Amino acid sequence: MAHNFRSDVAIDWCPGCGDFGIVTGLTQALTELNYGPNDVVAVSGIGCSGKTPHYLNMAGIHTLHGRSIPYATGVKLANPRLKVIVTSGDGDMLSIGAGHFVAEGRRNTGLTIILYDNEVYGLTKGQAAPTMALGEKTKGLTKPNVFGKVNPITMALSSGYSFVARGFSFDTKHLKDLIKKAVTHEGSSFIDVLQPCPTYNNINTMEWYRSKVYKMDDEKAWDPVVMPEMPAEAANEKFSNAYKRGLEWDDKIPIGVFYDNRAIPSFVKRIAEYVPDYLKNPPAEQIVAGTDGYTNVDPFKTFADRVI
Amino acid sequence: MSNIDLNLSIGGPQGGGIDTSSNLISRAFASSGYNVLGVREFHSNIKGRHSYVHLRIREERPRSLKYPLDFLVALDPDTIFEHLEDVATGTVVLYDTNDEKAELAQARMIMRDTAKRINSTLQENKLELNVKGALALMKNRGAKIMGIPFSKVLEGTELDGPATRYYNVLGASLTLSIIGLDQKFTRDSLKHIFGNKEKVIALNVKVVDAAYKYCVENGLAGETLPDMDAAPRMLLTGNDGAALGKIMGGLRFQTYYPITPASDESSILEEHEDIKWLSNENEKLSSGGVTVVQTEDELSAITMAEGAAITGARSATATSGPGFSLMAEAISFAGIDEIPVVVTFYQRGGPSTGLPTRNGQADLMFALNTGHGEFPKMVISSGDVEECIYDSMKALNYAQRYQLPVIHLIDKNLANTSDFVPEIDTKKIKVEQSLRTENKTDFKRYTLDTKNGVSPMGIFGKDIFWMTGDEHDELGHVTEDPIIRDRMMEKRFTKLKVADEEIPDEDKVQVYGKKDARITFITWGSQKGVILDSIDALKAKGIEANMLYLKMFEPFPSKFVDKFLKKAGTIIDVESNMTGQAAKVIRMNTGFEVTNFILKYNGRHITEDELVSATADIVSKKKKIVVLENGA
Repeated sequence: MAHNFRSDVAIDWCPGCGDFGIVTGLTQALTELNYGPNDVVAVSGIGCSGKTPHYLNMAGIHTLHGRSIPYATGVKLANPRLKVIVTSGDGDMLSIGAGHFVAEGRRNTGLTIILYDNEVYGLTKGQAAPTMALGEKTKGLTKPNVFGKVNPITMALSSGYSFVARGFSFDTKHLKDLIKKAVTHEGSSFIDVLQPCPTYNNINTMEWYRSKVYKMDDEKAWDPVVMPEMPAEAANEKFSNAYKRGLEWDDKIPIGVFYDNRAIPSFVKRIAEYVPDYLKNPPAEQIVAGTDGYTNVDPFKTFADRVI
Repeated sequence: MSNIDLNLSIGGPQGGGIDTSSNLISRAFASSGYNVLGVREFHSNIKGRHSYVHLRIREERPRSLKYPLDFLVALDPDTIFEHLEDVATGTVVLYDTNDEKAELAQARMIMRDTAKRINSTLQENKLELNVKGALALMKNRGAKIMGIPFSKVLEGTELDGPATRYYNVLGASLTLSIIGLDQKFTRDSLKHIFGNKEKVIALNVKVVDAAYKYCVENGLAGETLPDMDAAPRMLLTGNDGAALGKIMGGLRFQTYYPITPASDESSILEEHEDIKWLSNENEKLSSGGVTVVQTEDELSAITMAEGAAITGARSATATSGPGFSLMAEAISFAGIDEIPVVVTFYQRGGPSTGLPTRNGQADLMFALNTGHGEFPKMVISSGDVEECIYDSMKALNYAQRYQLPVIHLIDKNLANTSDFVPEIDTKKIKVEQSLRTENKTDFKRYTLDTKNGVSPMGIFGKDIFWMTGDEHDELGHVTEDPIIRDRMMEKRFTKLKVADEEIPDEDKVQVYGKKDARITFITWGSQKGVILDSIDALKAKGIEANMLYLKMFEPFPSKFVDKFLKKAGTIIDVESNMTGQAAKVIRMNTGFEVTNFILKYNGRHITEDELVSATADIVSKKKKIVVLENGA
């Protein structure tokens, strides 16, 4: 029987919250991929999004504000067999954790990163998140937003993510399919999920998004995949197409896969080139004491270059 | 039978190969069976500023360094200027005669205030403001000035590139020849240093030969020293020791962000990620390596290490003051979530960027108090290279046994101390693993059903459980229930109480010397060696002293320390900081107040001569606090 990925913990998000659709899409995706509970780990930061792991019936860490990516990277590198899913908010990932977000693009560890994008800090009463546009005034703000916005899609592309997509939490079937693609992608994948906050964002509401989103996947000519053998020029064109699409926002908002580069080796593979037996016997699975309880490391041979 | 005990400094511009010079001298002496202790001093600079290594060479293992020098080897004019105060009667000053014409005003790489001070000294002595003047001053002070025309020594030797490129090996070789070390050891040591670079070795062998030839022809060569018998030893720095100890202790995942003097440890781990095994009987036991990850910052370094730790890897990170500041929040997380993680904390001169390449011990209180909220952590400290090895193993064990963050303090002086370690005992410390769960159906990661506060760990990929930085229930889910909150706080602190009871006193504090001595030194970290040598030196003067040497600050051996100090004579706290932090910790834990201090915060290592003289000032009641100032 397929594992039920919903835990029995009561969800305390506001009624009508876009987060529910993410949990539904994620749990359905994992079930359809036939994963067991020991194949997957969820890692989150702080905020409403941070509570996600508790709602999932699989191992999970609800970490510090901004630090979900490095915690998740530690899990993945210690045991590369695990599928590691990061569920974090826009403030968590693109403000306090922005450095890690960029660094993870460079690493391409093999994480699946789901961004809860609602343009506000909900749990602290609706302050502007980095995805909110300049001059916008949602009801939690005392004056219009004085900051410019970051674009999660172009930021992810510039940082080097090898899989970049966007979903809408009120289209859970589409989101579920995106998550399935993201989780099975070898490198790190990023999904920007438009996820309205019914309590603090009275501008970017579910209706607002519904009227604007369209699916790139519906276009026959749209092909975001870069294959390993593809010439540089063709690969670059895929990247610039993705970037251009990523800039669309005001009238129509594209959802679906912007970019899917299968040519970039994952960090796990890069490490395996140097560290002996890394994939066969990863850090989490190594036995570090002999049967007598003492070390099996030969200090003089391991540090032979220091012996006189 | 010669009985040598040499203090030697060799200096030159940073980037000019001083490491190679000191390595050559150390390894050549070691090959001949002698022991060498060295400390490296350098600026936060890649090329040009003054850098030197202070070595002590003798048959017995040296434990500390001493001024005045027996040898000063100057590979540039700056070295002559910078070390004016380190010479006295009998010091041999070896330099390149080509440097004689250098003016102090042109020595732009000397720090402005240092140059001013040298300028005044030379003026006061009515000497020229140049190398000649400086050498004259050294001569007046009784030094034996030995100018050698470096370019002439290498005349006729066919080399690749400019001859100045070989001056580091030349300076070292001339020194070795003058002291009387057999040429074969000097030649052989080049192989150790340059590995398989055959061409480089061949070129440098020519330099060694030219140096020895010059010394013989000019009557400078010393009488050949006898060989000592010595088993194979390892030349290790504190950084090396910590890296080796970590690997032996089962470390398989290390993260770091570049910072002096911590990141050397991570580079060393990376160089030795391919572990060699004692036994190959068990395939699973003798495969795998060390994964080292350079992170984007220290926030990432500590959290990534914690992520790996929760997944079952023995994990650690290494940093220094500024980086440790960034790690505080995640150490608090490891506290509440009971994550076995080790932070090797290399202290340097603070505050802020402070003296980034110099010594300091000003982070003890910071380590003890790091992280918001109340949670158990352990803080231990090492004082010599061997301790770096075994304490790194212990730190990993404590982290596993009590499931908490362990902070391992090492100071810059020790990190950059090189020592010859004769033996490493692989059967000294067992490699312990955390208590793990067998429960697959109803696993409570933070079960309160535990007597010692330790609950079985779950491992990602094997067990289903949750973790959160919030207060949590037994399953690891968020709770704000007041009763569970109390029980969880108590559970976590029980572990510290149990650790205090289980860990023997000798792992926390040690006494060296006679119990009823007239003087008791209190110290921690790298002063260990210099105090041991000072105790011997004082004994020779008829003064009996002992040392209370602190190794663990949390949990703190309060009872032992209190009992010992109440019976002690004149108590002197010796630390490399300004406020006597260990003495504060003693007072905080025992109520006992220490009132005599020998402190040093100029970033340089404490030497035996200054410590002995400061002790005399305190014993004679001339002073209660002495601030030490030795060192270029």
